[in-house]
Formats: sequence, structure tokens, C-alpha cells
Amino acid sequence: MRIVHRLGAGIVAVLVVSLMLVSPAHAQAKKEIETVTRPESYAATALARALELSVLNLNLTVASSGIEINSSPSAKATGAGVALLPNTTSEAKAGAGESSAPPKACALNLPLSIINVELACGETSAATTGDGPQALGRGTVAAIDIGGGQLLQLLKPVLDLLKPVLGTVLAVVQPVLGGLQLPLVGQLAGLDPATDPVSSLVDKLTKATSLVSIKIGNSTAQGKTTAAAVSSEGNAQGAQIDVLPGLALGGSPLLSIVVGSAKATATFDRNGGKADATFDGAIATVKVGLPILGGNILELPIKLGQPIRLLEGTPLESEISLGAGSTKRESDGAVSSVADGVKIHLLKGISGGVKLELAHAEAAVGGLTRLTSKQVVVDPIPQLAKTGGEPWVPMAGAGLLVAAYLTRRTLVTRPAGARQPAEG
Amino acid sequence: MAKSPLVEALRTRPWARRGLSLVSVVLLLGGLGLVGYPFFTNVYQGQVQDRLVRQIASPELKQAYRERKVQYGDSLTRIRIPRLGVDAVVVEGTTPSALRAGAGHYPQTALPCDEGNVAIAGHRTTYGRPFGNLDQLRTGDTIELSTPLGSCTYRLHRDPFVTEPTDLGVLEPGPERMVTLTTCHPKGSAAKRLIVQATWVKDSTAA
Repeated sequence: MRIVHRLGAGIVAVLVVSLMLVSPAHAQAKKEIETVTRPESYAATALARALELSVLNLNLTVASSGIEINSSPSAKATGAGVALLPNTTSEAKAGAGESSAPPKACALNLPLSIINVELACGETSAATTGDGPQALGRGTVAAIDIGGGQLLQLLKPVLDLLKPVLGTVLAVVQPVLGGLQLPLVGQLAGLDPATDPVSSLVDKLTKATSLVSIKIGNSTAQGKTTAAAVSSEGNAQGAQIDVLPGLALGGSPLLSIVVGSAKATATFDRNGGKADATFDGAIATVKVGLPILGGNILELPIKLGQPIRLLEGTPLESEISLGAGSTKRESDGAVSSVADGVKIHLLKGISGGVKLELAHAEAAVGGLTRLTSKQVVVDPIPQLAKTGGEPWVPMAGAGLLVAAYLTRRTLVTRPAGARQPAEG
Repeated sequence: MAKSPLVEALRTRPWARRGLSLVSVVLLLGGLGLVGYPFFTNVYQGQVQDRLVRQIASPELKQAYRERKVQYGDSLTRIRIPRLGVDAVVVEGTTPSALRAGAGHYPQTALPCDEGNVAIAGHRTTYGRPFGNLDQLRTGDTIELSTPLGSCTYRLHRDPFVTEPTDLGVLEPGPERMVTLTTCHPKGSAAKRLIVQATWVKDSTAA
């Protein structure tokens, strides 16, 4: 029993010492500090182009726009009615805390060789305020005419070619025009192939106001930054292309191609860190008619991978194909999208013809989210100087002395004959 | 009575007996050290005070005092409380190392005998315990401060009172020149602070 008592006393002493060793809590204020381990970064671009035109070695980019924004922060924008013509081009740039919105740059009735451009304008704005950089570029052209007063001069070699090969032309035209071929053949049957059809054709052609007339919409490139996302968008509005407009009494063209708009977008989620891209490709429809022959207007939609060829084998051969759109994701997470528009090659046999690429848009974006680490910092609350002793010190000392005594007692061996149990 | 096998093993095996013997010696020395801790701090503080008494009379300290450039741990003023028999040199600073001298001056407060509130912290149970009986002061008792440039006397305008350790307002200057003494409360604990405040009465010429 003595052993038990001693062990119990020892345990109590240890407990008392342990309690005394617990220091009183010091007044502290805890606060959380957030440290940025990787700053946020992002960049976005977009461009849109309503029309790329090539005729008689003259190349024009019409109604184009572009933007570039990034997390520097920086914002840039360009917009042009006709690229490379300064009086129709606008540019804007903005650094941190800046904004720029130059006046709209416009020019009216620009004669460029055989091309006449009506009212071409470029417009831009750029700013880096609020949530981040913003940029807008826009290019517009009211209308473009190709040919005009030089029309007959352009067509003369065609007419000369037509005379000896009219029969061949008709044979080639036949399968292409489908239901229109019968009226065409019927109309021309019995006529002197050397002169009458050609004379009739020339008569009608003189009524055309130009070779090609194009009415095009705007092209817009935009970059936006909000608290949640960074986005870029390229948008090229549609166009209507009239080949030999005014050919008929009612003013209808020989051929009319209607092209819809093309749009490409890309978005970066600033919170989630993910980027996505989409595109809406342009659609196009060809309206073919020979109103000079009293035929009906035929509408032919242009399908992807199925170009339409008209008047094949003739100097007037024309081809219309629809471009594809696509999206792409890079290994670092950046994304891009392209909406390819319509490609048209008209009147290939007339001095190389007229090449047009319409409704092209691109957008791209990429970025990295901000990474932070949180750290708890303990700030001691200011106090009056501490000049008191620790209460546990003497108690702990007493506890150690008791423990030393008990340990020593355990080692002592009882002398022989001490406290023998009573016999009875 | 049956003996515990463990205890018997500890008593009979030589290696166990030597180990336990060593443990008992260590416990004894540790206990004596902790119990004797206040005594050891008093001895140390006495040695520090001897050095500070010599320093406060030196011309170098007088020059440093005149330029307001007394370093932490150096002599600043001598405090006398006649009612309690307190006579100690106060150092500049209230860091734990500075307070091993017994009492230290809060550096953010006024200098002794200057305009404002002169605040001094002192130990209560260790390091000479200069403020050990501060609770025995009463309204009307005097406190004297002697600097290399002169002396001044303050008189208590209220009895000592207890406040929280975070009550830094007691260090703020008042409408009159005053001195504030702080120490831990109750004795042996740092749970509260005991405050004594006295208002300036008069200045004396330099000692």
C-alpha cells in the first residue's frame, strides 16, 4: 500500500507541476495576410475584315479593324475604311489609367483606278480604367463599284472571244444553269451565232452601271475586360455583291451574291482560369438570273466544301466557295477562333477577274489567374511593461523537489527486521 | 505485503539504481533552481545597480542626457520613495533585458522632471523588487526623481489603482506635469497592472 501511496503522491506532484508549467495566454491579435505569389496576366486580340479585294493588280483591304489588350494594362485599336489610306484610318492607344478616342477618320468618293469607294471611315477607342483595358475598332465602307465607265473597254476582249465560241459557251453553260438553260437555248436558237447574240449581249451590257457593285457592312473588333472575364470579338458583317448591276430593265444584276456576317469570339474566365473560343461562320447565297432572257431568279445556297462554279469554261467563269471556321487550344490554355468567310473569284477570264474574300474574323485570348497564399500573423497587443514573476516558477520548483524525494525513496532498501507483520 | 515486481527490479538491478539516482539529482537541482530563482535575480540586480550608480554620476551620461541621447539600458534617473524606502536607479527602456536593472523608463513618455507624463515600470517580486510594496502608497505620499540635470518632487493625487495590462491610457500626458509608476498585480502574477500617479510639486537644483 505504501508503494501505491507513494506512486499516487508522485503522480499528483507531476500533475501539479504540469499545470503550473502552462503559461498564461498572452493577449494577441491574429490577422490574416494575403500574399500574391503569382500576379494575374492576360492578353486578347481580335481582328475583322469585311472585304479583301483584288482586281487588275490592285489589292485593297476594305472595312478592317483590330484590337489588342493585355494586363500591363494596355489597350490598342485600329479601324480603317480602306487600309493604308491614312484619311480613312484611325488608331487609339491607352496605357495604365489612360483613355483615347480620336475623331472618326472618313473620306468620301475615293477613286482608286477602276475602283470607286464611297464613304470609307475608320473609328477607334481605347481605355484602361475600371476593371481593365477596353478597346474598340471599326471600319466601314458604304459601297464599292468596280468598272464603271471603263466597263465596255474591259469587256471588249470578252466579246471578241465570245464570237467564235458561242456554241461552246452554251454547251458549257447548259449543265450549270440547270432549269434556266432551256429558255437561254431557246432564245438563242436560230440566231446568227456570230453577230446577233453578241449584239444583243452588248446592247444589254451597256445598260450595266458597273462590272461589280458591292455593298458591305461594318467590321468591328472589340476587347472587353470585366471583373469576371476578358473577352475579344471579331465581327465582319455581311455584304451583297452584284455582278453587272443594272443589266436588266428593273436594275437587277446578272449575278447577286449575298454573304452573311462572320463572328469569332474568345473569352478568358479571370476567376476559374479557363479560356473558351467560338465562331459563327458566314453563310452565302447566290442569286442567279438572266433577266435579259426573261428567266426566273434562281437561289443557290453555298455549302461548306461544295463550291459553286458558274459559266465554267467561259471568260465569265466565276467560283464561289465558303470558308470554314475553326477553334484551337494551345498547350498553355490560350484559345483562338477563326471564322473564314466567303471567297469569290468573278469573271476569271477578264484580265484576271475580280477576287474577293469576304467576312473574315479572328479572336484569341489567354491568361493566368492570380495565385495568393494566406498567412496568419500574430500581432501582440501593446501592453504596459510586464514586471511580474511567473507564478508557476516556485510551484514547479516545489514539484520537482517532491519528485526528487519520491525517486530517492524508491531506491532506499528497508533495513533487515523493520516492521515485520504481526504473527498470531 | 506483496512487493511490486517493478519496484524490486529497480532496487536490485545496478543499472536501474544508477539511472534513478541520476534522475533524483537532476530533479533536486532543478527544483532548487526554480525555487531560488527570485533570490538569484535579486543578486544580479544588485550588481547591475552598482554599475548604474557609478554611471549616473559620470559626465558622459550628463552630456548624453543633455542631448536626449541616453541609450537603452543606461542610467536615466534615480527614484526615491521615502514612505517605502525605495532608492533605485532607473534605466532607459522597458524591454525585458533593460528591466533586469529593476526599473525602466517608458521611452515614449516624457523625461523625468520635464513637461508631460514621466512613466516608469518596475519589478514587484524579482530583480530587487523596487516596486514590491507600491500598493502601500496613499494620496499625499511623495516621489522624488533625480537626474544629471536636476531633481523634482511629485505628490500622489490619488491612491494606487489596478487596471488591465492593455490600458495604455495611463501613459498619456495630463493637464499637469506628472509621474506614473506601473508594476504587475497581484504579486507573482502578470494578470493586471498596479498604477501609481503623482503630480509635480517642485523642482530642486542639480545634485
